[in-house]
Amino acid sequence: MFIIDFFLDIANYFIKHIDKISTYTFEHFVLIIIAIILSLVIWLTVGIAIRNNLGLAKGVLGIGSFIMSVPSIALYGILVSVPGFGLSRRSAVFGLILYAMLPIVRNVYVSLNQVDENVMEAAKGMGLSTRQVLFKVQLPLAMPVILAGIRVALVMMVGIATLAVYIGERNLGSLIQQGIVRTYDDMIIVGAILVSVMAFLVDYIMGKVQKAIVSPGLITDTTDSSTSKREVA
Amino acid sequence: MIKIENVVKKYSGMERPAVQNLSMDIGEGEICVFVGPSGCGKTTTLKMINRIIEPTSGAIYVNGVNVLKQNPDKLRQNIGYVIQQIGLFPHMTVYENIAIVPKLLDWKDDTTKKRVDELLEIVGLDPEENRSKYPKALSGGQRQRVGVARALAVNPPIMLMDEPFGAVDPVTRSQLQNEFLRLQKKIKKTICFVTHDIDEAIKMGDRIAIMEQGNLVQYDSPENLLFNPNNEFVEDFVGSDRSLKVLNLLRIDTVLKKDIKTVATNNDISALHHFFENNKKKRAIIVDEDNKVVGYVARNDVPKGSSSKGWNSIIKPIPATLPMQATLRDALAQMLQYDLGAVPVVEEDNSLLGVVDLDEIRSHIGEAYHEFGQDEAG
Repeated sequence: MFIIDFFLDIANYFIKHIDKISTYTFEHFVLIIIAIILSLVIWLTVGIAIRNNLGLAKGVLGIGSFIMSVPSIALYGILVSVPGFGLSRRSAVFGLILYAMLPIVRNVYVSLNQVDENVMEAAKGMGLSTRQVLFKVQLPLAMPVILAGIRVALVMMVGIATLAVYIGERNLGSLIQQGIVRTYDDMIIVGAILVSVMAFLVDYIMGKVQKAIVSPGLITDTTDSSTSKREVA
Repeated sequence: MIKIENVVKKYSGMERPAVQNLSMDIGEGEICVFVGPSGCGKTTTLKMINRIIEPTSGAIYVNGVNVLKQNPDKLRQNIGYVIQQIGLFPHMTVYENIAIVPKLLDWKDDTTKKRVDELLEIVGLDPEENRSKYPKALSGGQRQRVGVARALAVNPPIMLMDEPFGAVDPVTRSQLQNEFLRLQKKIKKTICFVTHDIDEAIKMGDRIAIMEQGNLVQYDSPENLLFNPNNEFVEDFVGSDRSLKVLNLLRIDTVLKKDIKTVATNNDISALHHFFENNKKKRAIIVDEDNKVVGYVARNDVPKGSSSKGWNSIIKPIPATLPMQATLRDALAQMLQYDLGAVPVVEEDNSLLGVVDLDEIRSHIGEAYHEFGQDEAG
């Protein structure tokens, strides 16, 4: 009986506050979309720019690791005190971009440098320019690892965005934060569940994106009997 | 076609230059093989021709134009390049791999498509079946063929090949070598070929450049290399088994017996009785009505009298056949491996050209020594 009551209470809260909850979910989503688009523009460029410069790469990745080790609530605290940022969406977005740095830049740098040197030599030997080698060969081959980095960054953003409520954002984090303040369990639980669902969804969508973008030639599939049978014949 | 002039390559931190003051000419339509122990500068030399490695000093002319004064990307688009690990692009299909340079040069789609199919045929792969496969679905030999097709895509006059058949098993290697020699007869490219295998060099090369510690020690025809080595290094490198190496040099067309008696399956089985009565041979080669080899029948397996047994029950498959481009070494290897006194030589479509037998090879090798080997008698 207790369990049923528990779920009924949660469902009840959800239905009663559906308007507020949809707004929060939407705001949460918008924040992440803005942050990931800007992150991609900035960090893909940085990753590509440092690919042939080991010294620079070490420095940049060092900064990324350092940012990653700063607790998010502290980082937001620092950002708020910076003139021009303050209690605004700008601070929230900027914080998320900083956290996306390490997973994206590191994966771009590592994967571009892991492309088989024979493939690189063949490409160069056929007369592809440096730019053509990058776009036609290196990036497509690095794509699975780059997408994995973006996936990590996105899932992390969904979680960290909840803390942005302390600097003025109103999103699913608000349910948790206010629930704690008011010791209102149903509110906390609804917030927590929705954040988890969103993280799960983002992860799922990225999986689909990966399947659509990555060349079938790069997927190691031992059960592909159609091609192996033909080879024997 | 290619002229290398006083080329030096020094790597920083190394005392001895990788290539020292190298000068040589490579003629049009020739296969020039660079051979030598590792670190002798053969690969460095090859890679300086398409500027994957830049020479420290000197000049390289292709068709009279100094490569160092050309845009390296444009230069490379006109030089076919095949490396040992092939370097097929795993994210692209066979078609896309071969079509890369044509696309860079803005070929029309249907021209490219035609060319890719033509190339796949040339290297012995069925276009329908292989065009849309990814490299991971190909065997080592098939990948190598795609690599060669890719290098030939825009029909460059020059090909650079860096140990192209080094990464496949010996059987496939010899097969690819034979196919490549047959192909070269048609396409007549100027080819620079690097290998560390002197047998391969002798088999493939019109001219062989032996290098040691960055120096060109001898640049000569395979015959001269075998019988008139310049110095002790060449002699050692060629090896004490020169007489065996000669086998790589002699093609089976010189010992091919063309008028051989066969039995055709469109005859009655009694034709076999007739064959064995008039010949001392232990086996009869059986062909179909189009002169294509189907197998052999041993003397003991011929049915006595007018048995009603069909051809199929007495024909045995022939364990080995040879293409026309094979060398005497290939022929002997097959004979020893399958314990045969003679091996049929067939065309691509399996039609019979003739037979190579052991006695003929033996007497021919004797003649060959007589021909080249002034010093070999003693």
